[in-house]
Amino acid sequence: MPRIAEPLSRRTVLAGALGAAGLGLLSLSGCAPARQEPTIPQAAATGAARPGGMLRVARPAASAAETLDPASSLSAYEYLGALYNRLVKLDERGGTVPDLATEWSSNADVTQWTFRLRGDVRFHDGGDFTARDAIASIAHILDPATASPQAGVLGEVIDAAAMTAPDPHTLRFRLSKPNAEFPSLLAAYQCYIVPADAIGDPRRAGIGTGPFRLSSFHPAGTGSVEAVDDHFAGRPILDGIDFFSVQDASARVNALLAGQIDLISQTNLDFATARVVSASPRATVARSENAQWYTIPMLATSPEFSDVRVRRAMKLAYDPRRVVETALNGTGSAGWDNPVPPNMAAFLDEPREHDPDKARSLLRQAGAEGLSTKIYTSSYDAVFTPLAVAYRDAVADAGVRLTVQNASSDSYYTQVWMQEPLMVSYWFTGRPIDQLLGQIFRSGSSYNESAWSSPAFDAVLDDARAETNDARRRMLYQDAQRLIVEDGADMTPMFGDRLVGISRDVVNYAEYGFEFDYLSIGFRK
Amino acid sequence: MSAVVAVGRRVLIALLTIVLASLFVFLAVQALPGDVARQLLGQDATPEAVAALRETLGLDRDVWSRYADWLLGAVRGDFGVSLVSGAPVGPDLLTAFGNSLLIAVPAVLVGITVALLLGVVAGVRRGRTADTAISMTALVLMSVPEFMMATVLVLLFAIVFPVLPAVVLRGPEATPVELLPSVVLPAVVLTLAMAAYVVRSMRSSTIDVMSREFVVTAELKGLTPLQVVRRHALPSALLPVLDVVALNVAWLLGGVVVVENVFNYPGMGKLMIESVHNRDLPMIEAIAVVSAAVYVLCNLAADMTALALDPRLRTRRRTRSRRSA
Amino acid sequence: MTTTPDGRSSLRGALGGALGGALRGSPTLVVGLALVTLHVLLALTAPWTTGHDPVVTDSGDVLSGPTAAHWLGTDQYGRDILSRVLHGGRYALAVTGLATTVAVAAGTVIGCFTAYADNWLDEVVMRVMDALLSIPTVLALLVVVTVLDPDLWVVVLAITVVYTPAVTRVVRGAARAVITQDYVTAARARGERAPSIVFREILPNVLDVVLVELAMRASWVVLLVATLSFLGFGANPPTPDWGLMVEENRTALTVVPLGTIAPVVALATLVVGLNLSADGLSKRLGVDRAQQGAAA
Repeated sequence: MPRIAEPLSRRTVLAGALGAAGLGLLSLSGCAPARQEPTIPQAAATGAARPGGMLRVARPAASAAETLDPASSLSAYEYLGALYNRLVKLDERGGTVPDLATEWSSNADVTQWTFRLRGDVRFHDGGDFTARDAIASIAHILDPATASPQAGVLGEVIDAAAMTAPDPHTLRFRLSKPNAEFPSLLAAYQCYIVPADAIGDPRRAGIGTGPFRLSSFHPAGTGSVEAVDDHFAGRPILDGIDFFSVQDASARVNALLAGQIDLISQTNLDFATARVVSASPRATVARSENAQWYTIPMLATSPEFSDVRVRRAMKLAYDPRRVVETALNGTGSAGWDNPVPPNMAAFLDEPREHDPDKARSLLRQAGAEGLSTKIYTSSYDAVFTPLAVAYRDAVADAGVRLTVQNASSDSYYTQVWMQEPLMVSYWFTGRPIDQLLGQIFRSGSSYNESAWSSPAFDAVLDDARAETNDARRRMLYQDAQRLIVEDGADMTPMFGDRLVGISRDVVNYAEYGFEFDYLSIGFRK
Repeated sequence: MSAVVAVGRRVLIALLTIVLASLFVFLAVQALPGDVARQLLGQDATPEAVAALRETLGLDRDVWSRYADWLLGAVRGDFGVSLVSGAPVGPDLLTAFGNSLLIAVPAVLVGITVALLLGVVAGVRRGRTADTAISMTALVLMSVPEFMMATVLVLLFAIVFPVLPAVVLRGPEATPVELLPSVVLPAVVLTLAMAAYVVRSMRSSTIDVMSREFVVTAELKGLTPLQVVRRHALPSALLPVLDVVALNVAWLLGGVVVVENVFNYPGMGKLMIESVHNRDLPMIEAIAVVSAAVYVLCNLAADMTALALDPRLRTRRRTRSRRSA
Repeated sequence: MTTTPDGRSSLRGALGGALGGALRGSPTLVVGLALVTLHVLLALTAPWTTGHDPVVTDSGDVLSGPTAAHWLGTDQYGRDILSRVLHGGRYALAVTGLATTVAVAAGTVIGCFTAYADNWLDEVVMRVMDALLSIPTVLALLVVVTVLDPDLWVVVLAITVVYTPAVTRVVRGAARAVITQDYVTAARARGERAPSIVFREILPNVLDVVLVELAMRASWVVLLVATLSFLGFGANPPTPDWGLMVEENRTALTVVPLGTIAPVVALATLVVGLNLSADGLSKRLGVDRAQQGAAA
């Protein structure tokens, strides 16, 4: 799910960068002349870091109800990766790689998975990490009382009784149906492992096996973590991290420019701000590529879009490259209505056609010629309105007349989302392929934002899950992508890069999807 | 009407005002779309989760019985529990109010003193260079929105010349000492924003008084201009300005949303905006009561001061007005 | 002020006389009204004078700085800043005009009637108005705007709710002074009905106060509208609005200075114009502004 982090702020997202230039070209004056060529760096600085230092991170303020319970929908996201580990994590192409589990294997029909766990791991309070803690943590996610966002995805294949520990460092799952991608489902950011006996005890919240241990935490306020010297993956470069909550996005940027903080998390700088930041003597911009997945859900249950021909026409009618150009100033990539980001291994590289005339004739066949409806947007995300406007202009060629309708950002996701026939929305990328397809597109899933229901798609997904041959499974996931592109109701016009504000002193910042490298990040020598 | 009855009546009216204000806010918040349960859960809200949370929070009961409960609690000093944090409303609100005082009190002390002085100078030197300069500055200051002043000051004193913090990084848990360096810029913005109004009011009041008979008589008696102003003109000129001062003080103490938002300052204005967003009814109610009380008290204080300055004044024509955020 | 032989003003006479008389020999008022008129003209003609659509984006020409095509440059979406500022005036003036007029009209009618009634009704109305006044402006605005979604009419409604009580108080004060006059007593003795007395006897004689209120409130409403937009509770992007423009461009003040400065200059000149108008009017009409809390 997208992190709902900035309810009040409009300035969260980028407008985009044009050219690129090396770090060395950046103007060192605080005020860049207005006609200077855009100099927004392509990537974060890398290099040798000096050991130690406290990284100061400004994050959007959450509500006072935020918690360090990773399973909760109100978890304090930035702390999780520092404090905890999961059994597995994801690499940049969406593959599952070891974290607390060193290796895993399944039986022949992928209904039983066995994970070998590290034996050298201790929690911050000194307790040993064992399979019992993993079972308790995952049972906690499955517990309906927790109302965890990951409960639906995991609950589809396991329940609390399905987990056993043949020995303290072996964990076995008995699945209710085959799933060859099951390990990847344990990489979600709700699946961090906490000590079995600390669950439900607020005084022990924050105890994990991560590279940092908790020093202090105030919900919606400040907090601090300090490095663990004998961490199994090695000591982090930093001595610690201070987290600050700053509600207003401009205030976060000002804090960075004034040298009060080193990194702004979960904030996509707009183009003009990115220019200011990269021209500053203290700060610069790093990118998290394709981090924002923009969607235009057509509600498949609405009279407007229940006909697949209309939905197909709405896609054929527009050229996503034009939308990326207008809405993102080119800082992203065209989606062609395929929800899988191009950097993932399972990505189907088959751009659909763009044919306004065909769209027009499909609409005629469906009796919806000259379709006229509203497309909802809000200031929830700064790209929403440019995206809605760009899409409106793009489909005009096919005779579709859309009116852009603004809704309050405050209640956008409670009053408009999944209720109005046509709207713009976004998610963070970073879901493993099976979770992405299952959670957002499968019939009846609670995050199926277009209410699309396709037995054919569900069947392909089931086949893929049961397929043990990696290459054949990938082909099935690609078939599923084809079905979404052809028949689906949730359009993906584009993926946007996230422009991240960061101090010039920071090196080795790396973030993709929901993964953040807390071990390597440090200060320049 | 004896003095005791008059004062008693005013206090009763003040209490009634506060209760009515709390009722209006209570009812208005009921109409907000999306209740706290949905707002808290956001995009993660499944119908079951919302229903469960609504029940836990008692949102399924009718409005009047909830208001009655709230009022009974409030009378006993119990403002309930925040629907968001689950902690009692009182301490959090008190902290935020205290933090707001930290920027408001310096602004009031400096702003009002300087503004009254400048207003008198402008009024006495009417039409001269000093008056023109003061009046023009005041006019410009009241025409430039606070958010612009704040933006320019941050750019100058936090980014180009980094002598002061641009924003407050510590949240409600910050101690006043930790907040001190961050107090300067918000307080300066508030001082400028408020002083302009007081200067203009004091100026026109001074001009008005200086043309009256008793001042002219005093001048004819051969008193120096300074003596005339201090002994005769100032007390009379202050009377009509009191209301303006009271209003501005009430505005400052009631939480200044824009300035607190720009500086991420953990005061009552920021708490207010967050509570409206979260539909945190008990917190909104408590903020409304505190603000209403501050407003009523400031006006009472203005009345009392007026009585002290001019005992003949029994009933003044009270015409209040309010200013923007 | 035009007065009939028995010393009272007629509505039409008062309106024409007040303005006409006030304009003569008051440079403050002339300058103020000139500034406001200029703004109105610029706003009215904006669609034909700017040559650019204020919401059309152009990814090929972003942050351009002043050029022949874009006199004040473009913002980060390639939108013409001059066009946005001028169209922003349309929004600001429309909301301000509507909200101020409605609030002052409502406050005037309620104020006159309640003053005339002078009984339990007066007491009840004034207690309600007091309570409304004691609620922080921003809280009231936020709640109304959030309840109904921010569009132009909702912002107008919100500002009306916030300002009507204050106007009511002021007008009621002025009306009470008028009611004791002989001509009101005479009208009452003639058996005229309340609405007739209020509209024919009281209203014309508090019109000077109402006019000053109108100009003064308008200057605050302009600021309030911009503030609401700045906080994200007013105009929705991409509506060209001054407060919104500042909000969108302020972090980039050093890269696109005109994006912030131009709307602020527009806003400030309009506020100055309205303030000078209020000053000039009150001086010419003899309305005591300090006593009115005018400067608050």
